[in-house]
Amino acid sequence: MLRCCVRFLVFCFLGLLVLMVFASLGFVVWGSTGDEAVARVGEADDALGRAFVAVSEAEGAGADVAGLLVRLNAASGLYSSAEVALQSGNYSLAVERAGDCVGLADGVLGDAGVLRGMALDAAAGWWRVVVFSVVGACVFVGVLAVVWVFVRRRCAGSVLGLKPEVTG
Amino acid sequence: MQNIKAVFAVVGLAGVLLFAWPSLGLIVHLPIGERFSELYILGPGHMASDYPFNVSAGVDYLVYVGVGNHMGSSAYYEWKVKYLNWTDSLPNSTAATWSPLPRLYGYRMFLADNETREDMLTFSFLNVTSTENITRVGGLTINGATYNVDRTCAWDPVYNGTYSRLLVELWLYNASLEPFVYHNRFVDLILNMTAGS
Repeated sequence: MLRCCVRFLVFCFLGLLVLMVFASLGFVVWGSTGDEAVARVGEADDALGRAFVAVSEAEGAGADVAGLLVRLNAASGLYSSAEVALQSGNYSLAVERAGDCVGLADGVLGDAGVLRGMALDAAAGWWRVVVFSVVGACVFVGVLAVVWVFVRRRCAGSVLGLKPEVTG
Repeated sequence: MQNIKAVFAVVGLAGVLLFAWPSLGLIVHLPIGERFSELYILGPGHMASDYPFNVSAGVDYLVYVGVGNHMGSSAYYEWKVKYLNWTDSLPNSTAATWSPLPRLYGYRMFLADNETREDMLTFSFLNVTSTENITRVGGLTINGATYNVDRTCAWDPVYNGTYSRLLVELWLYNASLEPFVYHNRFVDLILNMTAGS
């Protein structure tokens, strides 16, 4: 009888031990700690800052960044909800939203770099604009001068071709 | 003949200006206007009216916070919400210093130049207790997040009310300095905690 009781207690103890190990593993895998959530929200904050600097540089180079700002605002919305979740103690949601925010912000960062490169390439072709502008203006003035000469001759010819008429 | 000459002169001038315009754009830069940002609060109907004034615990209040960017380029803003009692000092516009109280809630946004945006700010008071002349505000829920404030507001015998302030400060991202710097803009809502609490 005593042996049975001891076996039962040992079985219970081992069962409890196994349960605790699984529970702690589950917590590590599925749950998020407050420190981790704080760190991820901090990463999201940094990612937003980096992305904005890249967008500003692209804008400074002359790129149209309206689309990037829309995406940055979406990332900012995710950041806000991550902060609210962190404040409410919902660490898993905070980590998830912060991760989404980092993904979106990093995408914007990459695209801003591409847009900046394109804008700089376009700006490097300023001499084409000047050449087109100057040559175009010269050709226009030349054509106008030719037309002017033609019109003047025609007018002069018609005046010279008139026969004087004496009246009275 | 004189008419034709005038027409040619006008057409010639217009044509030359048209062709020269892209080159002129590279050389001539128009003067930049004053750079500034707007910060304002509107009532629940997006109008400068019906602001919450007499407030009590457990009731949700809605206002809109508007920010306008006229800085000449895109900007990254954060408006920060703080809760002040009547004796707490407001930000100093002359010294450009912000309120020393901790930020409760922050909302960030990116605005293009000349863009204005209005966002919702909902708030309600929690754990409000009143003794004879003192009202203690335990917490504040702002846009769904709950914050411990633990501020006491005294009865004001001159204006017959228990006044406090919901302060909104505007901060601007500046990568070369600290991430966000106070932009010397703030607005506040004066609130009177009523007996309904």
